[in-house]
Amino acid sequence: MATIEELDKDIAGLRNRISRLRSHRSNLTSILLSSPLLTTRLQQRPVTNERCRRSAAKAVKQQSNRNVENIYRACAGVTAYKVKDPDPNAVDDGNILGVRIEVPVDGQFIETYHVLFNRPDPIHPTMLKIHKHTIPPCIPLQALANKFLPVTDRDADTTTEQNLIRFGRWLRKELVSWHLRIATVQKLRCEAGLSGKASEDEVGPERPSIGQILNAFGGDSEEESDEEGHTASKDGPVQIEHIEADHAVREIRITWSNGQTGVMKVAKDGEVEKSVIRSRNGSRVLQIELKAVGRIEGLVQRLTEAGAVS
Amino acid sequence: MAPSIPVTVPDYKNVPHSYKLPVAHREVVRTFSKLSRLSLISLVHQWLTKKNREFCRPYLKADEDPNEKDRQVYEPAESYEDLQDIYKELAARKGGRKEVVDRILEGDWRNGISMFQLATAEVHHLLEHPGALRWNARRLTKIRNPRLLETDMEVTNESEHLPRFQAQTFMMNLAKELLPLMKAHLFITRVKTLPMTILRVYMHDSPYSTEASLAMDTSGPDGAKAVFFIWPNGSPFVFVSLSTHLGQAVGDEGRHLRDVVDQAIPKAFSRPSARYQLLGTNFSARTLTALLTYRGPGKTNAAAGGWSIFADHSFNQSVLDYITAPRPSQEKKRASDKESAAEAVKPGPGRPKRVVDEMETLKVKRRRKIAEGRFGSSAKLGDGQGVERFEVRIDDPFPTISNSNGLQRDHNISEISNAPAGRRSRRGRPPLLDRSTEDMEDTRNEDDGLWIPDVRLTFSGTHVFAGIRQLVEGGAIDGEKMPGWMTGEAGVTLGSVKSGRMRTKGEIQGV
Repeated sequence: MATIEELDKDIAGLRNRISRLRSHRSNLTSILLSSPLLTTRLQQRPVTNERCRRSAAKAVKQQSNRNVENIYRACAGVTAYKVKDPDPNAVDDGNILGVRIEVPVDGQFIETYHVLFNRPDPIHPTMLKIHKHTIPPCIPLQALANKFLPVTDRDADTTTEQNLIRFGRWLRKELVSWHLRIATVQKLRCEAGLSGKASEDEVGPERPSIGQILNAFGGDSEEESDEEGHTASKDGPVQIEHIEADHAVREIRITWSNGQTGVMKVAKDGEVEKSVIRSRNGSRVLQIELKAVGRIEGLVQRLTEAGAVS
Repeated sequence: MAPSIPVTVPDYKNVPHSYKLPVAHREVVRTFSKLSRLSLISLVHQWLTKKNREFCRPYLKADEDPNEKDRQVYEPAESYEDLQDIYKELAARKGGRKEVVDRILEGDWRNGISMFQLATAEVHHLLEHPGALRWNARRLTKIRNPRLLETDMEVTNESEHLPRFQAQTFMMNLAKELLPLMKAHLFITRVKTLPMTILRVYMHDSPYSTEASLAMDTSGPDGAKAVFFIWPNGSPFVFVSLSTHLGQAVGDEGRHLRDVVDQAIPKAFSRPSARYQLLGTNFSARTLTALLTYRGPGKTNAAAGGWSIFADHSFNQSVLDYITAPRPSQEKKRASDKESAAEAVKPGPGRPKRVVDEMETLKVKRRRKIAEGRFGSSAKLGDGQGVERFEVRIDDPFPTISNSNGLQRDHNISEISNAPAGRRSRRGRPPLLDRSTEDMEDTRNEDDGLWIPDVRLTFSGTHVFAGIRQLVEGGAIDGEKMPGWMTGEAGVTLGSVKSGRMRTKGEIQGV
């Protein structure tokens, strides 16, 4: 039996190695193909086999196209391309203009979003209309489109001004700031010593998928049951227990171990605008509230400092 | 004065979590008969956690009535911890579902199942069987204030275009709307595994909110007394399920109560100078994953069908990926494609292989390619995004026959079609698909003299678009000539087709 296991392990190891080597090979291939001297060399020097030369030239061309495309995408952030709608009944013969928005966060390109335009109006061929897109609904796409890409009626003589460039710029701003806010909240969680996401509850491995029950209060015995859960942490230093944000990260909710809760409103650029923090008995904790207003980045630090003073 | 005889007076209170229904109550029996052994046990553990004990008080040793000691089947537990151990032990060993149900209903909670327990049990069942209910996706839309039109649509650093969902405020407002008309038990929970919040409203048609009136209320033919609402996080949509049990007839009274709840929802969302209404989005499905794909918080809302390649990164490589050579994973995929293509054309077990197979394989391959192009990465069997019913009405004129005779004939028929009133009033038609007067005007203006028959298509099955994709792959549908709405890219399950395209109202899809 042991031998079979060993063999399996060997095979798995070999497979791993093969895939590693393969990716290494393709990496080297692209480096070689990107070499600037290669094209001229292929064209000028005589070669024995004409067909091989042609296929090599093709590969070089493909690689250089990719390089140019990627450099544009990385540097410009918003790029356009053309695709074809496969629908036989599509307007304008299925010509589609795509706009691609890259989102760089923390030295990585974490997401790419697309907006696809068509030209529904044969009378005004420059008028673009959003056909399909991959923008999440927490981004105000409709509002931006209304502002920068108004669509004229079919019969209207005057064409309204559309500004695709400004539309792209604003949309990119919205998307990037959203991702930056998400990343910052994640960082805040780390700062507060909360490990990423799930971090609670003592139930078993067969945890039900029902999460937090939002109206599990009320009833006369609220105080009592609350007390029960918190007695353990009452003596220790006050800590942040939860940091939660809504999907668009416009609102952050913080729960402290002493039963204090706070809600902060965040602007799109990551400025904490307003905050309400209430202690367990319902009174507002003004000195911490004042401290919370400011950049979102140092929020946890400011809150803990303020908490220590009070 | 006589010491407090409980008096029941009509009041304005919610039904609290801790009120109990007798174990023989129809709702209790129905809910508990649906749950599996494992989910029952995990529910019990949830009820016994410290924070929930208040709402789910079991029958313990201390509550025991000494007179009944001999007759009981189940020995009451000493404490909560004991009870937890008992259920841990039940979880560890194998056994039937019945054993656990009996233990819960006749043993540890013989005094009654609290509203909280009933609600958690139903939500649990819903999450375990995501196809158990039929959902209708709607959208919370701001009612435009003509005076504030400019500021409404402005995009600034602080602007907010989605309705803000604050559970506490929302529940308070909802209670305010509902309580004068009925009593309700509200249960709202955030789901961990899916990005959404579930609200369950148990409707209690009575002016009293006492425990006794809850237990009494078994009359009436209407079965389901609870309705569900789901808010996907970070999106303006609401999924509504108005019938709790599929195929259940709902009486007028029950329907009326539902309407009350339904109308209270947008009101509870509204604030001064921001009024909301619920509008239909022509989409309904049974699986929650499908709803989240077409009306969820993510990227896929307006990129269905063939456009799914834009949402799932298969259209573009990563910006920093400079490798043009085919990757190992792609190579593998290609190889497996070949294999499966070869398998697909293999004739039945009895028939011998023919020489034409080569040609066939090529054709099949081509059809697969076309299907890939039209459907992208969507519409695959088993992706859980199935739509069960897809209805369209065709508003295009009947294709004219080009010779002169044909024209003559067309003209004659067009007169007949102008009297559709009698046909439309017939029973059994989905009224949503009927042409509105606006549509009628539209078609009459544009195509006068052409015959536009009332053609409606309904596709139904477990996963409609996967089925169409299979038909394309199998060659039954010409993938190149197939109109785009058949790929599901319009993102609706109910719609009308005009000039071969799904009619839209000028709004951007999926926002």
